[in-house]
Amino acid sequence: MKEVVSVSLGSRRRDHTARATLLGEEISLERRGTDGDLEAAHALIRELDGKVDAIGLGGLDVYLVAGGRRYVVEDGRRLTEEAKVTPVVDGSSIKNTLERDAVLRLAAMGVIGESTHVLMVSGVDRFGMAEAFARVGCQTIYGDLMFTAGIPYAVKSLDELAELARKILPEMSRLPLSMLYPQGKAQEVEPVPDPKFAPYYEEADLIAGDWHLIRKHLPTWLGGKTVLTNTTTKDDVTLLRERGVRTLITTTPVIEGRSFGTNVMEGAIVALSGKRPEELGEEGFRSYLERLEAGPTVEILEDPA
Amino acid sequence: MSALGEALASFRDRVNKDARLRDMNRDWSRLIRVEPSDGTEAFRVSYQEGVMEVDRTLEGSFDIVLRAPEEVLARVFSGEASPTEPYLDGSLTIQGSQEDVLRLDFLSLMIWGE
Repeated sequence: MKEVVSVSLGSRRRDHTARATLLGEEISLERRGTDGDLEAAHALIRELDGKVDAIGLGGLDVYLVAGGRRYVVEDGRRLTEEAKVTPVVDGSSIKNTLERDAVLRLAAMGVIGESTHVLMVSGVDRFGMAEAFARVGCQTIYGDLMFTAGIPYAVKSLDELAELARKILPEMSRLPLSMLYPQGKAQEVEPVPDPKFAPYYEEADLIAGDWHLIRKHLPTWLGGKTVLTNTTTKDDVTLLRERGVRTLITTTPVIEGRSFGTNVMEGAIVALSGKRPEELGEEGFRSYLERLEAGPTVEILEDPA
Repeated sequence: MSALGEALASFRDRVNKDARLRDMNRDWSRLIRVEPSDGTEAFRVSYQEGVMEVDRTLEGSFDIVLRAPEEVLARVFSGEASPTEPYLDGSLTIQGSQEDVLRLDFLSLMIWGE
């Protein structure tokens, strides 16, 4: 059996193991949180190296992308270097293929279009999705400054996002990621609605991007809206249902009630192929995604009333 | 005027000229004490709804305290060095909430970043 372990800086309470049969091969997909403990994540990767088929990195990114430039997140890069044998993946290849295609597919299905107002909580960590929204012509607000630095400024174009990224990311990517992204116990606290950001949720038809950033300031009511994300658990789905969300679309397949992270999906393909991610390349990943018939999962949530 | 005083004045002028930066920080009002650790004179930086002022009024409490050798502070505020390196190596200490630290770093990068 193939084994993929996602080492996450997120909460241990979200740990989960699932077994699936993909392309005729049995595969174990496990998520192990470290409650934001970076040293524990380093130790776990060292322990797993050479023993599993792929290691995913969750709760952080290794690469952020804007305007065709790729910025390396130091905390993430150091983690990848712990493994000498087993490939380590952060989900970038899935974000560039599956997530990009998910948006284009939703457009082809008529779910979104030029009149759709999108709040994308962070574009630099999901560049495929961000570029796809722009390609479709959606009215998109990129909330990178809002949701990572608390700055109430809506970025309204990919060009502006790229300009801001050039100024701030070369330095900010060197800071401890915990300063920019909720990790460990911060993922367990109740969402805190913030009046600074409420209007942006309110104006959006569709709220997209990283689940923990969406959740961080989730308003008490999101009646009729659509959320496009992944890594949602059954509890998360209940939360969205209680807040009135009409539709939840997950970009990664749902297995045993859980949509796994892009890093797990990427790890699964690497494990199935027996190749390193750089050997697979974009075409290789696309080929596997087609064979897996991977696509967005649309779930209509019931109105609690 | 000291090198730090000149650097802060230059930084203030750049911040106040940038309309987008004022808009981005319209919600942020803080009193910041910039204190050289080698005994030279400290400054108060007042940031109120997007407008920055620099003076020597040091009474009262501060939301954020920056402490480093004067040369380091002058290099950071003049854009000769990023705040990240001295922050990470401990030569620049910042007392304040994590959100405020991030906001200050952001201000600096918006002025001096690429």
